[in-house]
Amino acid sequence: MNVRLIGVLITAGILAAGLVFWRSTATPDDGAPAITVSDVPSRGGQIVTSGRAGPRTFNRLIGQEQFSQVLSMLTQGRLVRVNYQTFEVEPWLAEKWDVSGDGLTYTFHLRPGVTWSDGVPFTSDDVLFSVQAIFDPNSEGFIADTLKVEGKPIAASARDAATVIITFPAPSGPGLRLLDSLWIVPKHKLEGALKAGTFAKAWGTDTPPSEIVGMGPFVLREYVPNQRLIFDRNPRYWRKAADGTPLPYLDRIVYEIIPDQDAELLRLQSGDLDLTQSELRPDDYVPARRAEDKGTLKVAEIGLSPQADGFWFNLKPEAWKNDPRFTFVRRPEFRQAISYAVDREKFAENVFLGAAVPIWGPVTPGNTVWFWPDVPRYFHDVNKAKELLKGLGLEDRNGNGVVEDAQGHEARFTVITQRGIGWYERGVADLRTQLAQAGIAIEPAPLENATMIQRMVKSDYEAMYLRFGATDVDPASQLDMWLSSGNAHFWHFGDTSPEPWEARIDALMKEQLATLDQGRRKAIFNDVQRIFAENLPVIYFATPRMYYAYNARLQGVKPSVLRPVALWNADMLSVRPSGTR
Amino acid sequence: MGRFFVRRLTFALLLVVTVSSSALMLTRLAPGDMTTELGLRARPEEIARTRARFDLNRSPAAQLGGWALRAARFDFGESFLYDRPVGGLIRRAAGNTAVLAVAALAIATLAGIPLGIVTGSRRGALAGAIRTVSLVCLSVPPLLTSLLLLFIASRTGWLPTGGMTSVDAVDAGWSAWTLDVARHLPLPALALALPLGATFERLQAQAMTETIHQPFVVAALARGVTWRRLLIDHAWRASLRSMCAIYGLAIGALLSGSFVVEYVTAWPGLGRLMYEALRARDIYLVAGCAAMGGVFLAFGSLVSDLLLFAADPRVREGQTA
Repeated sequence: MNVRLIGVLITAGILAAGLVFWRSTATPDDGAPAITVSDVPSRGGQIVTSGRAGPRTFNRLIGQEQFSQVLSMLTQGRLVRVNYQTFEVEPWLAEKWDVSGDGLTYTFHLRPGVTWSDGVPFTSDDVLFSVQAIFDPNSEGFIADTLKVEGKPIAASARDAATVIITFPAPSGPGLRLLDSLWIVPKHKLEGALKAGTFAKAWGTDTPPSEIVGMGPFVLREYVPNQRLIFDRNPRYWRKAADGTPLPYLDRIVYEIIPDQDAELLRLQSGDLDLTQSELRPDDYVPARRAEDKGTLKVAEIGLSPQADGFWFNLKPEAWKNDPRFTFVRRPEFRQAISYAVDREKFAENVFLGAAVPIWGPVTPGNTVWFWPDVPRYFHDVNKAKELLKGLGLEDRNGNGVVEDAQGHEARFTVITQRGIGWYERGVADLRTQLAQAGIAIEPAPLENATMIQRMVKSDYEAMYLRFGATDVDPASQLDMWLSSGNAHFWHFGDTSPEPWEARIDALMKEQLATLDQGRRKAIFNDVQRIFAENLPVIYFATPRMYYAYNARLQGVKPSVLRPVALWNADMLSVRPSGTR
Repeated sequence: MGRFFVRRLTFALLLVVTVSSSALMLTRLAPGDMTTELGLRARPEEIARTRARFDLNRSPAAQLGGWALRAARFDFGESFLYDRPVGGLIRRAAGNTAVLAVAALAIATLAGIPLGIVTGSRRGALAGAIRTVSLVCLSVPPLLTSLLLLFIASRTGWLPTGGMTSVDAVDAGWSAWTLDVARHLPLPALALALPLGATFERLQAQAMTETIHQPFVVAALARGVTWRRLLIDHAWRASLRSMCAIYGLAIGALLSGSFVVEYVTAWPGLGRLMYEALRARDIYLVAGCAAMGGVFLAFGSLVSDLLLFAADPRVREGQTA
């Protein structure tokens, strides 16, 4: 009797839980109130966004982690900015500018009436102070590098409180684009720290939020380490919408720190989050689409990613010491054989679950400005790959499926990638399968981030599979990758004796950097892409289609292929009044 | 009793020193350091500045010595990730973890021990069902439990989907804030409590089964003591000895950080802080978290001893002697 009663109770419990669960996940029924469509942005409301980590500093001229970019876009201002949708430079704190005939001098006319969030007027002194702080020897960092031309810093002077003159030390192809990273910091708050030589420590994360002033659409109200940051509307923000409405539309943005991306997606689906800082992972696409069908999320296809995962061998001779495999690793034909051996369509299917397109170089079709469609291609052909390997003396002499040279040194390599990133691990696994058909054996070695980066920086690896982010689509933003002397020339760090083709890329990159004619720059950069594709220091296979999911109640979201995907446009975001969709 | 506490205190001190020093040395000797967090584009001067600031240019022994001297004055150094003193970060995170651990412990205890008494003292469908659920809870990794609970919370809206407070509590008063924390607590607390409660249930059941076959239980039954009273007053109390030992350790383990649960549910506790510090090789933060973990472990061990002291007269007599 007791057993039967327990059975009945358990069954009833399961049925009740199932019913409640089904009700909670069901879409609204026909009896729900009518929904009206509203596209007119309304003022007020708050949104909740999220990111993996919080700030290490509130000083934008010092911080360079991903959050710093979000923080700057919410709270700080620049003379000009790169629009993350059109990739064009547009006026910001400077309402207009004049350029000298030689293209070296820009005269900026500052927007009148702009004040800092504490009410202090913004003047040319703040711009000069910011340039001085960026190149301060005690704190000079990443931003200083981006504001140099031919290794020399830009110079700033002021004609009056509303006019700033910026002079480039040499002709600069990207020109104004460089100033996208010239964040203006308040002289009246930070001058003391700069004079005392403590600018690098100024505006640490324990600074009271009221001390952090800016000219962005929001001001920092509260920071709770490991939990969240709260940004309130900057009532003194200078920008207005086309209809004259003072921006930003939103009263508040809450930035939750959620370390786990799976948890973040669940919170986005539940409506606890409105948007995130990154695009959807390939595995997240289906659940996001389901949420879109229920009306809770919107999923936008942003386009093809301008960045792609690359596979490369360590081309630093010292790293291989006397390893005989380097004699064939260093030959472009060996890397071309790898490129031929991989079926990129299949790779896109297996690694990105079909949401990717084949590519043959680091500049993807997602970079609509600089992509060159005629870049040399290596269509899948295993026989051609084997032929190239044979030409290098690599054949499967012992019948174990792996090619080796005449001395028996096998083409077998360990490939390092980052642990825990699904598409990296799938990518290396797929390469392993595909390259095995050409007789090249690779062993995946996923490592956690710190160990992996250290191995890379110390050139302590054979091959790697990874992706590097870019802050802009212009090749000038990745000069440190292209130049053999660059800090991010990752396939050969500390390259003091570049190969002839690398030296040619160096010369071409410097030439295009100093060329003011954009058409000519493009032609030169096409040549760089050709040389790169012929020599394949890094082999690219596919670039993913980017999808971005956000809460359906949001308006004004213009997701970009660059990060932060949506908050670059934070002042135009709004929420629909409740009852509308 | 005084000597007992002195011994315990000495043990706690040794534990904290050993654990924190080992954590610092292991972090220092592991491949990679915090400068990898600066990214590939970091300038050599910036890397050098960071290395100097966090004593990475000194030998590991010299660094450990310097840190130990400062730590003796309760200065645990600065965090690279948060750019602020480690002490404050740890205090806040430890408090949050304590709240979570106490809630999880309460759930696990209130569910696990009574269920263990039931399954250890009787047979039948109910005991079988409890055993099965316990085994499931024990087998499912905490990561999966956390994600499953998060999934249910996100689909049903019954509970907040992570975090410790909601934004609305920011402007609220103290009582509203407490209520808000209480709303956020069940999800991570359940994720922690399910495997722990199952462990308690299994251990209690085993101890109970062994105890009810002891001659004194049979004798009590023969004297006419009712089955219920026999279970609670005699068998359960006698079976507590093995439970007390594991209970203290469980407290220590819970308090010293529940990495996965805190990470997935975005609970700003010690486990999550330690995990992030380890990932970034934030050396002084790792050492500080480990020190606090050691304090909690020592506390758990003390609780275990005190429980044993209270539950087992032989221990009391031994102490008195």
